[in-house]
Amino acid sequence: MVDIYLVGVGGQGIITASKIIGEAAMLAGQKVILSETHGMAQRGGSVVCTARIGEVSGPLIPDASADVVLSFELLETLRAICKASENTLVIASTETWVPLSVSTQRMRYPSAEEVRKRFESASNRAVFVNSRKMAEEAGAPISSNVVMVGALAGIGITGIDRGHFEAAVRRTISRKVDENLKAFSYGFDEGKKALA
Amino acid sequence: MDKVLSAESGSRILLLGNEAIARGALEAGVSVATTYPGTPASEIGDTLARVAKDAGIYFEYSVNEKVATEIAIGAATSDVRALVCMKHVGVNVAADALMTFAYTGTRGGFVLVTADDPSCHSSQNEQDNRYYALFGGFPLFEPSSPQECLDMTKQAFEVSEKLEMPVIVRTTTRIAHVRAPVTVGDIRKGPAKGEFIKDPGRFVTVPAVARERHLVLLEKLREAEHDAEQSEFNFVVGGGRNSIGIITSSIAAAYAEDAVRYLEISADILKLGFSYPLPRKKVLEFVGQHDPIVIVEELEPILENSIRSLVQHRGLGAKVLGKADGLFPQAHEFNETIVAEGLSKALSVEVQSPEKCGLPVDLPVRPPVLCAGCPHSATYFAVSKAVGKKALFATDIGCYTLGVAPPYSAADLLVCMGSSVGTAGGLAKVNDLPVIAFIGDSTFFHAGVPSLINAVHQGHRFLLMILDNRTTAMTGHQPHPGSRTDPRNPDATPISLEEVVKGCGVMWLRTIDPYDISATIDLVNEALTYDGVSVIIARRECALIAKRDEKGAIIRKHHVDQEACKKCRTCVTKFQCPAISSIDKVQTIDMDLCAGCGVCAQVCPYGAMKEVE
Repeated sequence: MVDIYLVGVGGQGIITASKIIGEAAMLAGQKVILSETHGMAQRGGSVVCTARIGEVSGPLIPDASADVVLSFELLETLRAICKASENTLVIASTETWVPLSVSTQRMRYPSAEEVRKRFESASNRAVFVNSRKMAEEAGAPISSNVVMVGALAGIGITGIDRGHFEAAVRRTISRKVDENLKAFSYGFDEGKKALA
Repeated sequence: MDKVLSAESGSRILLLGNEAIARGALEAGVSVATTYPGTPASEIGDTLARVAKDAGIYFEYSVNEKVATEIAIGAATSDVRALVCMKHVGVNVAADALMTFAYTGTRGGFVLVTADDPSCHSSQNEQDNRYYALFGGFPLFEPSSPQECLDMTKQAFEVSEKLEMPVIVRTTTRIAHVRAPVTVGDIRKGPAKGEFIKDPGRFVTVPAVARERHLVLLEKLREAEHDAEQSEFNFVVGGGRNSIGIITSSIAAAYAEDAVRYLEISADILKLGFSYPLPRKKVLEFVGQHDPIVIVEELEPILENSIRSLVQHRGLGAKVLGKADGLFPQAHEFNETIVAEGLSKALSVEVQSPEKCGLPVDLPVRPPVLCAGCPHSATYFAVSKAVGKKALFATDIGCYTLGVAPPYSAADLLVCMGSSVGTAGGLAKVNDLPVIAFIGDSTFFHAGVPSLINAVHQGHRFLLMILDNRTTAMTGHQPHPGSRTDPRNPDATPISLEEVVKGCGVMWLRTIDPYDISATIDLVNEALTYDGVSVIIARRECALIAKRDEKGAIIRKHHVDQEACKKCRTCVTKFQCPAISSIDKVQTIDMDLCAGCGVCAQVCPYGAMKEVE
């Protein structure tokens, strides 16, 4: 049983990322259930998806019980804090989308170090991935989301083979497939390295 | 080809609940499908729109839910199968048609899908549409997973056709927007043509007919109960030998299963998928074998009230526990924790709930916002420049409802689709402040036209601004009657907003490009001097479409000339654009996000927003 809590900003391709995870789990013969945010919330707002792999019926993840927080935007990582426990693995992109409230209410956008510290009480394992840069290097600048799925796969916590993930990328993404596979592999290597 | 259509029988594919409903309808041989888009129902229609041509079915995005329902009624009474899909509040719009259609009944299978939204994720209320099943007399299916979405939709057509009754399939956000592997079956091509056999004694509901048909409906509900007793979707999980019994339906059933596992209790769960008419025999049998009985259902205590009254009527001694005992909330969606806590109280089981957790208070909020380049943002900026807070704003349903937030605060009253036009008339009658109503193009066609006719006829005095972005943006850019062209429906006749407005009797009508801020300000001021109903059509294509199509958009990206910038912060305090940020009084524009609308250059009092060379 692996519970993955995905957070980020509407427009970052988080539903696509969760679909890749779902397809990969299905190809691996696992039971899987995903939940998604659609509609008005997508307009640049905070977005949450869940992916639950294993023997479970409900789509939502209870507090303090996510196995993985997979975050696509640095600040949004903190919005997952209630789902994390000391056993949670945090995989977060360093990509930043500064919300309007930072400008209008003069709030402060946290640094990666602050995000890490905030999670320390909740979780002792956090991996930060420069997914934007890797996506650009792969020739698919908007595929930061695929890099993050790669990192999740590379860390190996899902128990799903790389091949199933790659097949899932092919099934889910129709444009720039080779570039996306490259983005996935960059993320995969980073995830694998983080674990070592 | 879309996998919803192409997946072979027996194969397992990852489907959204809404896609599974679409596949279920195709497997049931649906001939006609209609909808008005609305979250969380939209993807049913969007999926069918994509596959309609290849599947050989008729699909339309109708002007509103009532019309969508009537199209489907016309088809189904002619003995083909018809599907109509909408969000929960859409059923209110369609209810006039539905309530009497329950009397006439159908010939071909007729399935209404209502997608409810507990917790109001994207809705103005969280009404529980299971009440419509009780209210009108419709057999009701409540899937709890994408697989059941497919299977129950198919079954709903069978039941509908057999009993000649319209049937409701009711989902919620956590079913409609859940994705899981689904095993699909054979697609059956429905006939393109049916035949309406005249039978005015049944289908023309004059009072004498209606009185008789009500009796027919009540008799058919008894038959439907018999079907619910036999239904494969009403079954017991847990072996049937435990003393604790849980009765549940919909997504609450999934949470109940997980909670029982989490609490490590032994309980049998009676899961009701075909939940109305209530299969009383099956329920009584279960009640007779279990004590206590805990009813687990989201929102209204519908099963609970029915089962309590049944137990009381039969004089049974079983203890029935639920919302009346304060175990479960009546508002907002459930989750595993809420259900586990309710069950633990009901059964006096110790439960280790996770500590109450709150987000850090200094965490910057990120609510949904109008996009970079959004024409509504330009309109709202111009209106706030023109009238400030010295006006009452009646608003409506769409992306532009986000104008309620600062800096625009351009929303004072909202109840439902089309309500801006009607409420504006009432506001203007009894208030001295000028009244401005905002309505989107799709919403205007949906429910704004009769109220505009009324406003002109009754001599109301307000300004109606039709925010025309040429699409139904919020739900995913579905076409509407005023849309330019719909590639999937090339024969559609575009309806001119101007002609409709004039046809409603409006004498003062102007159309403007909201990207032109000063002209919009002047026009708003002029309109407000008019003694009657004035209408401004603020027309500019949705920035997301303009960006996607890379045509029609004015691409002149801007940057902040830091030397010219006087750090007044007007661009972030009076205007709102996700591409502009202000950190430590330094204003910058994100080139990736900038849509090139050039509105910020008109917003800045110091000319610091310069076009990128």
